[in-house]
Amino acid sequence: MRTGKRHKWTGFEIFSTVTLSILLLLIVIPFWNAVVISLETPAAYSQKPFSWLPGEFTLDNYKFLFFKNGAVLLTAYRTTILVTAAGTLLGMTVMVMAAYAFSRKFPGKKLLFFAMVFTMFFGGGLIPTYLQIRRMGMLDTYSILVLLGMISTYNIIIMKNGFESVPVDLQDAAMIDGANDLTIFGRVMLPLQKPLIATFSLFLAVGYWNSWYWPMLLLQSGDKTVLQMFLRSVVNSVGARADSVVSEVAKTDSFPQGVKMAAVFAVMLPVMVVYPFLQKYFTKGILVGAVKM
Amino acid sequence: MMTKKKRILPEIWRARYIYLMLLPLLLWLAVFCYGPMYGVLLAFKKYNARMGILGSPWVGLANFRRIFITPAAMAAIKNTLIISMGRLVTGFPAPILLALLFTEMPGVRMKKVYQTVFTFPHFLSWVVVGNIIINFMSDGGAINAMLRGAGLEKVNFLTSPAIFRPLLYLTGIWKEVGWSSIIYMAAIAGIDTTLYDAARVDGATRLRQIWHVTLPGIKTTIVIMLILQIGGIMNAGFDQIFNMQNPMVKSVSQILDTYVYDITFLSAPDYGFSTAVGLFKAVINFILLILANKVVYKLSGERMFG
Repeated sequence: MRTGKRHKWTGFEIFSTVTLSILLLLIVIPFWNAVVISLETPAAYSQKPFSWLPGEFTLDNYKFLFFKNGAVLLTAYRTTILVTAAGTLLGMTVMVMAAYAFSRKFPGKKLLFFAMVFTMFFGGGLIPTYLQIRRMGMLDTYSILVLLGMISTYNIIIMKNGFESVPVDLQDAAMIDGANDLTIFGRVMLPLQKPLIATFSLFLAVGYWNSWYWPMLLLQSGDKTVLQMFLRSVVNSVGARADSVVSEVAKTDSFPQGVKMAAVFAVMLPVMVVYPFLQKYFTKGILVGAVKM
Repeated sequence: MMTKKKRILPEIWRARYIYLMLLPLLLWLAVFCYGPMYGVLLAFKKYNARMGILGSPWVGLANFRRIFITPAAMAAIKNTLIISMGRLVTGFPAPILLALLFTEMPGVRMKKVYQTVFTFPHFLSWVVVGNIIINFMSDGGAINAMLRGAGLEKVNFLTSPAIFRPLLYLTGIWKEVGWSSIIYMAAIAGIDTTLYDAARVDGATRLRQIWHVTLPGIKTTIVIMLILQIGGIMNAGFDQIFNMQNPMVKSVSQILDTYVYDITFLSAPDYGFSTAVGLFKAVINFILLILANKVVYKLSGERMFG
């Protein structure tokens, strides 16, 4: 609603806006600081670790990152994108089908649903899972990363609720027209759930993008890596071998902290790019439905 | 019996496509959830790689007894509890307060922008966020530069045992508060606005409206989130600690999960013992979840399940 009058600020509104603005700065500044450092020279950094703009602008930190670790970084990007894409596609297919199935009535539904929910609260844990993967001979493979991360029981339940909210008449009408469960699923239900599916696909993709723990445990041969692992190794190598790296780096205008922050930014950038699409969806509805499951 | 069978078989046949659609999920659960679950037997065994999980000798509860006589394990349990309690006290109310502040803020556009920024860190890994925080708070980092500029002493945020735990709480809030507050904001948006009108007619101030309308209106959400958090007390935040920890603060931040990692992957592993620690953790969490659900129900009439 738009009235000609200017908004009259109450004390409460001023208080909350000021507080939130301070908090906003507290969130933005560390990011900004990291980006600025990645774009400046060691001299500028040691003089002023915090500045609003690079004291002396250079791309040498990024050059060092890309040229020194170019091959590894490329592998990391490629594998992360592949694992993310394959995992998201596979995971969403399995989850959406299961969610739809659980929204219908069929013999044994209660038991199977319980079998799924039970795993939310109880699992084998780290070592048994690790041994299971070893037994399957899937240590040090990218496929296991795809498989491990693909299912979230929680998301299945929320999508099931989404399917259940579609009026039964619509399905019955289709049934009478001779459609079976598969065609109803594909022709009627899927198109209706597009927003929900888009949202969860993005969540799942971000999950794959960010995963580092299982990759770290499972990718043991030196030549396999994903982005988050790459970042960890850059940080560790630049940090641990500070002297040698510094001398090597000294030829150019890059420096350890600058390279680290360049790596942080390189890993973070794709998430920043998809983030606006994510944000569009998650504000309302979905989460509330989740809690009221 | 016969008649029942006759009725059920056609029903199963009619649902054949539904089973087909469920099949991939069931396979996945079998391999990655129920398969490892039998590995939990390890907690009661002395694992021998050559004999496998089933062939390894039983040792009863010895692995569990060992938890209580291993000082490092007990220290890890203590740290886990302290850090989780710290998070409960500081991190639990934070998103509620943020949601209240947000609802008071005018301007739809501005709200959207703020929300976008507040939620962003949630979508980054702790590898990324940990490095950003370490960069910002290290000895030569921005904060200490500012302190120096203000003529103050330098503070070793990352390496001082006294500061590290509060730093974990604070940076945990920093990353997750925006995301966690969404759920409360959605709950607040669902409150019947006529209740506020009525309160205003009664002369209630904004603060009293929050106390008497908003908070009761989101009570259910608060209760559910509280139960969930209590059910996770034995997880004190592995990702964050693993990525921010350093040797100087290990004594105050070695939690059960980092301890299991250390004994399993950094030294000669005893899979039986590691599994026992993991199982111990999971069982305590599960018991706490049930208990919290019961206690909160008694106190407030709200519950998550049961």
